[in-house]
Amino acid sequence: MIGNFKLGLLALAGAFAAAPASAQVIAVQNARVYTMGAAGVIENGDVIVRNGVISAVGVDLPAPEGASVIDAAGRVVTPGLFAPTSQLGLVEIGADDESNDASPKGDFALSAALDAVDAYNPNSTVIAIARAGGVTRALAAPSPGGKLFGGKAAVVDLSGRIGSVTKPQAAQTVVMGYGGASREGDTRMGAWAVLREYLDAAISYAANPRDYVMRPQDSRFSISDLKALGPVVAGQQPLIVRVNGASDIRNLLRLKNDYRLNVIIHGGAEAWRAGREIAAANVPVIIDATANLPYQFEDLGSTLANAARLQAAGVRIAIDAPDTHNLRLLPQMAGNAVANGLPYEAALAAITINPATMYGVQDRLGSLEVGKAADLVIWDGDPLEVTTRPVQVLIDGRAMSLENRQTRLRDRYKDLSRGDLPHAYRGGQ
Amino acid sequence: MKRSILAATALLALGACAKRGGEAASTAEPGAETGTAAEEKKAEDAIVHPPLDPYPSTYRPYASGTTLITGATLFTGTGERIENGAVLIADGKIAAVGGAGAITVPEGTATIDAAGKFVTPGVIDIHSHLGVYPSPSMSSTSDGNEATSPNTAQVWAEHSVWPQDPGFTRALAGGVTTLQVLPGSANLFGGRSAVLKNVPARTVQAMKFPGAPYGMKMACGENPKRVYESSGPSTRMANMAQYRAAWIDAAEYKKKWDDYWEAAEKFARENGDKKDGDEEKKAPEAPKRDLKLETLAGVLNGDVIVNMHCYRADEMAQIIDMSKEFGYKVATFHHGVEAYKVADLLAENGTCAAVWADWWGFKLEAYDSVRENAALIHAQPGGCAIIHSDSEVGIQRLNQETAKAMADGNKIGLGITEEVAVSWFTSNPAKAMGILDRTGTLEAGKMADVVLWSANPFSVYAQAEKVYIDGALMYDRDDPARSPRTDFEIGQQGNDFTGGAGQ
Repeated sequence: MIGNFKLGLLALAGAFAAAPASAQVIAVQNARVYTMGAAGVIENGDVIVRNGVISAVGVDLPAPEGASVIDAAGRVVTPGLFAPTSQLGLVEIGADDESNDASPKGDFALSAALDAVDAYNPNSTVIAIARAGGVTRALAAPSPGGKLFGGKAAVVDLSGRIGSVTKPQAAQTVVMGYGGASREGDTRMGAWAVLREYLDAAISYAANPRDYVMRPQDSRFSISDLKALGPVVAGQQPLIVRVNGASDIRNLLRLKNDYRLNVIIHGGAEAWRAGREIAAANVPVIIDATANLPYQFEDLGSTLANAARLQAAGVRIAIDAPDTHNLRLLPQMAGNAVANGLPYEAALAAITINPATMYGVQDRLGSLEVGKAADLVIWDGDPLEVTTRPVQVLIDGRAMSLENRQTRLRDRYKDLSRGDLPHAYRGGQ
Repeated sequence: MKRSILAATALLALGACAKRGGEAASTAEPGAETGTAAEEKKAEDAIVHPPLDPYPSTYRPYASGTTLITGATLFTGTGERIENGAVLIADGKIAAVGGAGAITVPEGTATIDAAGKFVTPGVIDIHSHLGVYPSPSMSSTSDGNEATSPNTAQVWAEHSVWPQDPGFTRALAGGVTTLQVLPGSANLFGGRSAVLKNVPARTVQAMKFPGAPYGMKMACGENPKRVYESSGPSTRMANMAQYRAAWIDAAEYKKKWDDYWEAAEKFARENGDKKDGDEEKKAPEAPKRDLKLETLAGVLNGDVIVNMHCYRADEMAQIIDMSKEFGYKVATFHHGVEAYKVADLLAENGTCAAVWADWWGFKLEAYDSVRENAALIHAQPGGCAIIHSDSEVGIQRLNQETAKAMADGNKIGLGITEEVAVSWFTSNPAKAMGILDRTGTLEAGKMADVVLWSANPFSVYAQAEKVYIDGALMYDRDDPARSPRTDFEIGQQGNDFTGGAGQ
């Protein structure tokens, strides 16, 4: 331990601000470590971070020379949380046109061609607020406007830095079920027919772009959209399909088979009713773990047992946050799934390694294993418990500030006394 | 006329606050009148009193056994925590609360060993739209916002409540025993609330909390000015102008009736001993009823409780001044995202703030959210914090929402105990809704609205195991026969579908 710097947790963020991540070595010691990898759970475990990457995970690991040591005795360490869907960086205020870029209005000409990266704002306050809740990566995904497709989603980190896009074009989004039907003739037949038309056109375009553009157009789709769907019809890019009803889900499995698509079900209120088929098709499902009401006929079978039943059927699940402004509630959502029968580590996987795997970034993210990016959260208790909060968050080995606009407002107003000067002079610096 | 007095009598029997009608009814003692007294009574009978309770509650509690829940940790809702405690339920009431073994139980008492479990008062949600925005959510069932005029004080939420909303059953599984269903927030004056016992019924009348005062929904800020942008109000200043104009009309209406009653009572006194053949004098004529103004006058009379949807701190201060200008009280600000900025002002005025733990960002007036909001409201001397749902999902977990809000307060050193925080979803909303004398705490003599939790309700893993309403076991997590299923859900999707409260 000689030569190590023992730093308080609060001092750490400030200390790191001065030095580049690449030069830093961090030893997190004595925590209960949920690796979410082959090593499982390690009691009194240590994690060594070097140059932003995890270099060792185990027990009684000597802290390297010059390492900043974080004593996490009595704490719990998990991988940084990974929000499987969100509009992060695309929306600041939901009901405000200027600061909400999440989806195009009405009959805007393009859909699949829209790219989250073009609108992603790393300075959004929503990012720092989610980060303080232990979220380190998210899929930033456009939502469909008037057309079926939403556009290209990106995996981002929540550092708030310029260049925080981890993987652009990580997925394409599309809405089916009644959401799709309401956009295409107000019938599910319309939605499925139009989706097939899009895919067929994208296949023709991809086969011979020059020929396609020279032909008299019998397609009503824009070339940009078809171009964007190229990786989808090639089965390379996941297509996140918003769908709830069991019959729509079965249609989707057939479509996946016909077109050899890589699909992810999003919503999946009745997915449990087709659990074995979904597992056999190797299709992951992103669920809302608290959905249990029949909002429409297509989600009549909505139940709190969905997560547990899908897991038991062998489906890879990810758990969604209730909305983009509250990605920090991923643990509460996962905790409720546990309360309704999902095994604890499966719930943790559903907000860490599983979303990473869905978007093909599991080689770098989602678990605490050697060689992976050091996205790591130290919690002051059971991470899924509603009374637990992060005490330290690392992204790519950098200690992140847990301050944000909300903590600033809180600090400004926690004392309401008149003071020497108005509140506007307090806590803003 | 006759009918209105009968209605008032019925209301009085239920113990409701029946100031005007009650006076008339209290003199009606059938068979007791002779001579002049009877004549005078007859003349008083002729005085018109608008019915205070024309759609009376027909709720009757279901059978309550005599049950002892023993060995649990109790959070009484009065700030007390009793380890290894016991609650005795008998005849629909809480008969005794105390340490296990300290309670004498009658013969035939069913005992529930609740060691390791927790007991709280029934959960109360002061802000729900169940029944008026039910599931399934379709235009056919969307009955929560009469967004046709900025002042619809005349509408009553109970006339929209669909008792078959599956959301009621899910809320029950979350421990909710009482809820206030409010009209939406499109309007400056949204209409009257319905305070309901969360007991499934064929009619809303059979869910109405007997004798609960009516609430009225009002809304500040963005919603009314957005909805009425073209016809007005389209600005916050017009919001204020329109509220104030309405209160002026309400005060005039109230005076009209007060003047009428004064004149009519004088007339009754002077003409009570009228003999046959005396010259017929003309009795004063009652004003024409106006449902809109009747509700607003009810607020000015103190009969109707104001529930004010208001996000922004500066607007809350304006509303408090307006309430003083017209002589009424704002019981609760709902959705008070910025309440922490004026928590001192709210406490000084005895106004509660009903808030979410962490919802924010959906519109600009919900931008300045802090996770410590409820805790900072509570921390003021006399501060009254309430956690509300405004959601068919959130209502199922008000315990978890409270746990988050408490934990965030404690992380900045506010030292809020669980036994105190439990009041944020039990006794504080009961107080704000005017029903704390009947429910909201575990105290002898109160309605036996009780939840037995599988674990500490401040944990994400806790489930409401048994929910008692007026002593009747209305939900039992382990007994499908004690799990209600709505008409809408039964018979759907074949036999693998369960539906119901525990879905």
